Amino acid sequence: MGRLPRLPRQLTALAPAAAAWLLLFAAPLAYFFVISFWSVRARIMRPDLTGRNYLATLADYGDVLLHTLLIGLAIAFVTTALAYAFAFAIRFRAGTWGNALLLLTLITLFGGYLVKIYAWKSILGRDGIINGVLRSIGIIDEPLTFFIYNANAVVITLAYFLLPFAVLPIYGNMRAIPDSLIEAARDLGANTFRASRDVVLPLCERGIAVAFLLTFLISVGDYVTPRLVGGGTSMMGHFIETQFSFGFNWPMGSAMAFTLMASSLVIFLLCRIALRQLISL
Amino acid sequence: MSAPLASKLLWLAFIAFVVLFLTLPLVLVIVFSFNMSALTSLPLTGLTLDWYARLFGNESFWPALRASLVIGVTVALLSVVIGTLAALGLARMPRRWAAIAMTSLSAPMMLPSLIIGIALLSYFVRFLKIPLGLPTVVLSHLVIVVPFVVAILHARLASFDWSLVESAQDLGASPSRAFFTVTLPIVQPTIVGAGLIALALSLDDFVITFFTIGSGNTLPTMVWGMVRTTLDPSINAVATLLILLSIGSTALALSVSKYRG
Repeated sequence: MGRLPRLPRQLTALAPAAAAWLLLFAAPLAYFFVISFWSVRARIMRPDLTGRNYLATLADYGDVLLHTLLIGLAIAFVTTALAYAFAFAIRFRAGTWGNALLLLTLITLFGGYLVKIYAWKSILGRDGIINGVLRSIGIIDEPLTFFIYNANAVVITLAYFLLPFAVLPIYGNMRAIPDSLIEAARDLGANTFRASRDVVLPLCERGIAVAFLLTFLISVGDYVTPRLVGGGTSMMGHFIETQFSFGFNWPMGSAMAFTLMASSLVIFLLCRIALRQLISL
Repeated sequence: MSAPLASKLLWLAFIAFVVLFLTLPLVLVIVFSFNMSALTSLPLTGLTLDWYARLFGNESFWPALRASLVIGVTVALLSVVIGTLAALGLARMPRRWAAIAMTSLSAPMMLPSLIIGIALLSYFVRFLKIPLGLPTVVLSHLVIVVPFVVAILHARLASFDWSLVESAQDLGASPSRAFFTVTLPIVQPTIVGAGLIALALSLDDFVITFFTIGSGNTLPTMVWGMVRTTLDPSINAVATLLILLSIGSTALALSVSKYRG
């Protein structure tokens, strides 16, 4: 084989990944977007160019959309804050245990999505572990029912699932911060809180934004958690999924999905601006 | 000086809390898979292997395990080949271009699985008109797994000493010979590690599999059926197997790639 010039060789190496990305990611999403303008008559999907699905999404699911975004924000805030504190502990407070904690974070990253939700269902449930403990030590006679089947259960479960995903990008930023920088801040009279707030936080802005975006987008698009532990908690994912199982209205489901993604992106950009303001205060 | 001690104790308590929060739910599932009582609740009533016996006697378990492993291994092999090539290409590109390519390739990691799943479902069924089954699940898993493999190898190659390859070529090795005798042996542990992470991701996926498999089950879709329909306690047994498979391959990945934080 003759020696190819440099650039084409690199492009050849990238070709399979690029092809997979184009044919299995970009093309399906583009096609799915086109479907959102189609119409359904007598349960048959027809090519069309109508904005009716989007109008129906806003009219029929506007409140669900708002509720979904609020729950997503709650989960993203709780998870990112907890992740920042834990990453800080791993990097600056755990000493030689830091690597073990990081390893634990990496290993729990892949502990099984469905299994994790199921675990919380059995912890919080009516006949679950918390009620079992409380009953066996005699604090209550009847099981408490307010742990599960509400929005709190959704927040706890998703925060649990997403925490390792949020810790890693923030820790990635913190790892690059030398200890000497913190010491310098302390020498100049800053206490730990000030040093963390004025030195560490600004340098982790990107990691925090990635953690927030990841946790927010995955939460708003989740339908398994609300269904297993959320009770009547209505989230968009549940209604989108229904269009593909019972409803069989794919165009409507597609319009709902793109409305959800677009509004999530707007909310994320607003949060990012707010974060920048907060850091530069 | 009680203030530093108090702050140390507070941090210790916080770390202990997060460690328990991360591990306890999974530990409980494992413990209850050996518990006599049919209810997943305390107190524990005694040790048994009945739930595993019942699971292994369940006629839908073995096909689901087989499907999970076939899909997982195929996805791991394909994504490692595609991902290694891509990372090698990226490593020799100008930094700016590589960063742009990397960001685009990572986009699928940011989207909710639900949206990827239903987009692929409509694409396969309506646009390509191909029947759903194990091959469509493999193709779908590649969408989310390849970006992880590329990211892992891209990070490894960032610290790779390319002068070694140049020396080999100066000594007369062809580019492909230099790749197989120099580059590959050095990055091989990372490639194996990335393959195991790919396996873990594929074994664990529920949402995308659910939409693209048509009929038939993998372990996660089988768990979904059990969670929704019955209160069969052997669900703790199959959940434990899933935890061990995915955590096991992650732990193996970290140890073969000599991960050091």
